[in-house]
Amino acid sequence: MSQLVTGAGAVASVGEGVDEVFRALCAGTSGLGELRGFDRERYRTRHAYEIDDRPAPGTDVPGRATDWLLRAVGEAAAQAGLGEDLSEVPVLIGTGLRELRSAELAWRDGTPFDIGRLHFGTALRTRFGAVRTHTFSGACSASLYALALAADLLTTGAEDTVVVAGVDTLTESMYGLLDRVNSEPPDRVRPFDRDRRGVLMGDGAAAVVLRREEPGAETRALGRVRAVSMNCDANHVTAPDPQGIARAVHEAQWRAGVKPGDIDLVLLHGTGTQLNDAAEAAAIAEVFGREVSGPLMTAIKCMTGHTSGGSGLLSLIVALESLASGRVPPTLGLAEPLPEAEAFRFVREEARESGDLRVAQIDAFGFGGVNAVAIVERAGR
Amino acid sequence: MTHGPGEVVVTGVGLAVPGAGTPEALLRRTACPVTGPDPEPFDTAARIGRRGHRYKDRATRLALCAALDALRSADLIPADGEEVTVPGDTIGVVASSNLGNLDTACLTAAAIAERSAVDLSPMSLPNASSNVIASWVAIRHGLRGPNLMLCNGATSGLDAVHWAAALVTAGRVRRAVVIGVETRNAVVADLLGRSAGELLDGAAALVVEGARWAEARGARAVAALGPYERRAGLTGCVEALLPDGAAPGVWFTPERYAEGPAGAVPVPQAVPVPQAVPRYDVSGAVGRASGALGVLQCAAAVGWLARAGAGTGAGPEPGAGVGPEPGAGVGPEPGAGVGPEPGARVGPEPGAGLGTAFAAGPGAAPDPVPASRQALITCGDDSADAVAGLLLRPTPDRCPPHPARAALISMECSR
Repeated sequence: MSQLVTGAGAVASVGEGVDEVFRALCAGTSGLGELRGFDRERYRTRHAYEIDDRPAPGTDVPGRATDWLLRAVGEAAAQAGLGEDLSEVPVLIGTGLRELRSAELAWRDGTPFDIGRLHFGTALRTRFGAVRTHTFSGACSASLYALALAADLLTTGAEDTVVVAGVDTLTESMYGLLDRVNSEPPDRVRPFDRDRRGVLMGDGAAAVVLRREEPGAETRALGRVRAVSMNCDANHVTAPDPQGIARAVHEAQWRAGVKPGDIDLVLLHGTGTQLNDAAEAAAIAEVFGREVSGPLMTAIKCMTGHTSGGSGLLSLIVALESLASGRVPPTLGLAEPLPEAEAFRFVREEARESGDLRVAQIDAFGFGGVNAVAIVERAGR
Repeated sequence: MTHGPGEVVVTGVGLAVPGAGTPEALLRRTACPVTGPDPEPFDTAARIGRRGHRYKDRATRLALCAALDALRSADLIPADGEEVTVPGDTIGVVASSNLGNLDTACLTAAAIAERSAVDLSPMSLPNASSNVIASWVAIRHGLRGPNLMLCNGATSGLDAVHWAAALVTAGRVRRAVVIGVETRNAVVADLLGRSAGELLDGAAALVVEGARWAEARGARAVAALGPYERRAGLTGCVEALLPDGAAPGVWFTPERYAEGPAGAVPVPQAVPVPQAVPRYDVSGAVGRASGALGVLQCAAAVGWLARAGAGTGAGPEPGAGVGPEPGAGVGPEPGAGVGPEPGARVGPEPGAGLGTAFAAGPGAAPDPVPASRQALITCGDDSADAVAGLLLRPTPDRCPPHPARAALISMECSR
């Protein structure tokens, strides 16, 4: 059974709103900048993909992630015709780092912050009257995990409509620890390039409204979710396992009833780290086999940074826009692909106009080996 | 978001809290708060050893202890091993914690401000991600099903039980380990504005399993999951679970419910459960439990069901439980508190109890278990963003054999 995406919302370093974000990505616009909210002298790494909304450079305020989440959910709900009243609609939020940035500011600097707002239920209740809110803190696949759970609620008949969202902002602890473990500080995210140096974090939020498909009731849908897989490597706490990723990709295609040759576009997780990109490329190569040169492939973290728990859903929205428009944003900074990805048909340097794209795959993997893969389809026949 | 009766059952319970090693002991401790010195902190090394845990945070180690205990009690892990006896991809993990890695985040941010990121220990990296607890449980036991981490405020533990049941109902996995864990330290105490001594340092875990899968492997169920609701207030939540004012056999109240919101005088008409129903506040026994509370409550409720199951006749607590009792209830009676009549309800009672309630089997009466045999569990109060509630029921009598069930809607991934 499929579900319709009837609304979408996005906020990222490259823009506000789905249209603006997608246009920016297709134009090759990057949200890369020098660190805005942290003391740059404390890190070897100096860059990130931040949303520039702090009151003054070098200062930081709590609650920014919550604000973006509310804006993304508001955009999606409005487009789906739900308005501002979500009192009867479950809202599932996937996030890697919740409002931990606000907790850092509260504890270290004494910035006022209600610890009851570490999760997003209170804010969603205040703005939308939403009560059935669930904050999942599932690292970098959290929003696709939330999508999978929402799809299950529709499939089992428990719900007709579910809002799914993802959000994250940089925390100083995560940014600093990534800085510590990178051998050489990255100055940008270069997914699948041989000279990639690691990941840079990005700010952002994404949201979709998912609705059970009723025969004949397909109106103004942005696309269709065919299936979402979720699993766990159960192998290593930070390093990805190609076998676990391959299982997730295979399961998603199997649940969706598609074969690798049916996939026209892959939005790769592509974080630009040594380990992720090698593991993901190996897994994709294994599952796709001889079909690996078939689909177009791209990775948007080169322009948005790693938006962590929100990244999977942001990629999904971009995939739906690409299926609808035939335009696929490029993977910037990809000069020479790593060996495992040599056969991939990457979109490079500039957006590609491609006529008939029908089915897309979206990857999202996170710390702890949590993998989720979605298969989506263009709306209409 | 409700599940039919008997569809999903509890087949294992694990605890890692000071002074209560079993559901029965946790219930006893809840009903009869111990005075005197606090018990020693839970010793994780005694259960899981020290080797390989040096860089795990306290919440993760507590979670590993409770999960191991639950998997063993569900007979999914032999007493002398750590490997599960069923395929790893048939088991999911759902962990709940609001405060678990706050210390890593805040102390790391402070260390950067004092010196620089270069001086950090790279071993802290996994702990900066809030899902580290669920990840380590999966890694330790090879659990390759969906791996969820709930950080959902006061209701988080009960929400986690719900999502574990949802994974089973949707056919994603046959069973899932649910862990609720919180710990206390200077960071948590400061951010909550409470003394560390008021806060839980412990974990509880459940194994929830599809009834058919439990039966297929001959596992004994200790409770069945009833409906779950998440509503705007306590009264609405309880009414949705127990229509027409039906009285449950026991009520596990939200954290510090008897104290009322923000120190207000309790308002009698706002109490959504009949005064005669015994009520227990697990957080009174183990400390303010935040995201662990719902799982702890379920563990204590399993203890209550076990005791009720040992009772006689139709009532869950003959002569002790249902009738009005002077001094019981939420009022501030000295010596009574939220656990009325300490000592009166706890302890085995003779006879056998759960006879014919399930004889009709699924598909007959929609709600075959009388409310008085069910445990009502609630998390969050009217000051929270929502209240979550769950009914736990005695397990169906499996004789005569359970009729065949329809295939699950979704395909199960079991390779």
